[in-house]
Amino acid sequence: MKHVIPFVILFFVLTSCQKEKITIGTNVSETFYLDNNGASMRLLVEGNTASKTFLIFVHGGPGSSSYFYNTDYISQNIENKYAVVYWDQRNAGGSQGNSNGDHLNLPQMTEDLKKVIQLIKYRYGQNSGIFILGHSFGGLLTASFMTKDDNQSMVKGWIFADGSHNYPLNDTLTRQMLLTVGQQQLALNRNTVNWKIIIGYCNSHTGNFTFEESNQLYAYATDAETYFKKVKKINLATLIDYDPVQYGWPVTSILFNLNYSTNASFNRDLAKTEFSSKLGVVTTPTLLLYGKYDFICPGGLEEDVFNRISTTDKKIVISPISGHNIMLQDESFFCKEVNAFIESHK
Amino acid sequence: MNILKSFLTLMIATLSTFGFSQSIDSVWVEKKTSNLSSSYISSLIYPGARLGVEFPVNTIYISKIRKSGKAKDFTKDRFVTANLSWYHHPAFHDNVYLSAGWTMRRTKSNGFLTEFSPEVGLSRTFLGGTTYQVDDNGNVSIKKYAGYYYALVSVGGGIGYDFSITKRKPFSVFSKFNVLMMFPYNSTIYLRPVMEIGLIYKPINFLSLKVKSKSRKK
Repeated sequence: MKHVIPFVILFFVLTSCQKEKITIGTNVSETFYLDNNGASMRLLVEGNTASKTFLIFVHGGPGSSSYFYNTDYISQNIENKYAVVYWDQRNAGGSQGNSNGDHLNLPQMTEDLKKVIQLIKYRYGQNSGIFILGHSFGGLLTASFMTKDDNQSMVKGWIFADGSHNYPLNDTLTRQMLLTVGQQQLALNRNTVNWKIIIGYCNSHTGNFTFEESNQLYAYATDAETYFKKVKKINLATLIDYDPVQYGWPVTSILFNLNYSTNASFNRDLAKTEFSSKLGVVTTPTLLLYGKYDFICPGGLEEDVFNRISTTDKKIVISPISGHNIMLQDESFFCKEVNAFIESHK
Repeated sequence: MNILKSFLTLMIATLSTFGFSQSIDSVWVEKKTSNLSSSYISSLIYPGARLGVEFPVNTIYISKIRKSGKAKDFTKDRFVTANLSWYHHPAFHDNVYLSAGWTMRRTKSNGFLTEFSPEVGLSRTFLGGTTYQVDDNGNVSIKKYAGYYYALVSVGGGIGYDFSITKRKPFSVFSKFNVLMMFPYNSTIYLRPVMEIGLIYKPINFLSLKVKSKSRKK
């Protein structure tokens, strides 16, 4: 009998974390997982669940992580009013699984998002108000979600922040912005060496972009915003500054998932994907945010969404100091706009 | 699997090299007790524990004569090990893994030791939160004991002190740095650095085995 006791103790230790705990309060922090088709996706809910209003971050990448959005500023300025759901998509962040790469595709991820919303409503009440915020690739994923079946009836509002809903258009707009801004910068004699290389590339690659050209434009766009002093630099060093150890980030999982998803073959399919032609079905209130210095997903994308969605309840706003990460580079602007939007539509 | 194959090939090649470079003076069979090990393992701030058994395979007693004429004596022990380990990473997962390894330990006459130990094993994780499934009709259920099985490879090296040599106490202390690799993890791998601080207890008679011992003089 005495040999069995340690194993019984170990069993209870291992399973105790999996007991269901649902907290309704103003300062909640709880992690749970959604298991769907080969992936167990991490969901961290933080903030005011008593508000019955939930903002779901749909991160970029593919393969990035929602850990990066969980900043002190957002905790103090959004989570105090509403609950924020930090969802790690499949093969991203703290999400786990075995050999599940075959399920890494946009339709599957769209289904995942639907199930995330169903799960939030199951846990916190069917009367919970849900807002989804798509950043970067999250823009494509939320556009896919909003235009599929009657999905949009599940949410009270759609926030599109530095997002992309149309990858071919994205490449065209990135090239145009690199050329236009690059020539202005050359005229001002700023970063001439770098801009000359970028302009040279854009002049020799004029359209109908291959996957490789698209990746090169992305690389130049990533560099371009760093040439402006007023844009806060976001890189690995700034993210590590968030103290990943204190917050329990599974750092190697984040890195290996990012590496796998970034190089996964489905990115080639994404490069041809667009939802502009389907946006007319969207009647949900929509907030569109972008940074003036976002070369990766230029503002023309937000304008395309704005012009195509059918709702009249829509707003487009521009941060004058932000690049591709508006929620990190212009935190007060971002939180003010998001809070105002949620407050008026919750 | 390719990584594992390459690793085993490298290990065998390395051991063979050691074998051919030295002359064997005498070989005999002796009865040796197995060792018990326990340790605290941690990855940054995340705690864990480990229990193991070391089964002796062979021992080589080496005596080298230095240029100064002084003798330098040390022992090379080889063990097959079996270990049960666990760590707890809050909100991520708990991981229980069973591993078998090959430990190469070199102990100097003053008690200081170094060791290298590759291991292979099986890991079972338990997700760090309630895990739900949602069916196509939107019905939600809880998945019990949610987690995954992974193949595991671990490589570790460390230092320690054997109190049985100088103090006649039946234990050693050690500190090791290990790297765990689990796969297939989301169709890729998962790496985890693990620090280990522990104690090896050498009972007088526990699972004693007849092992081949050698003595070499150089």
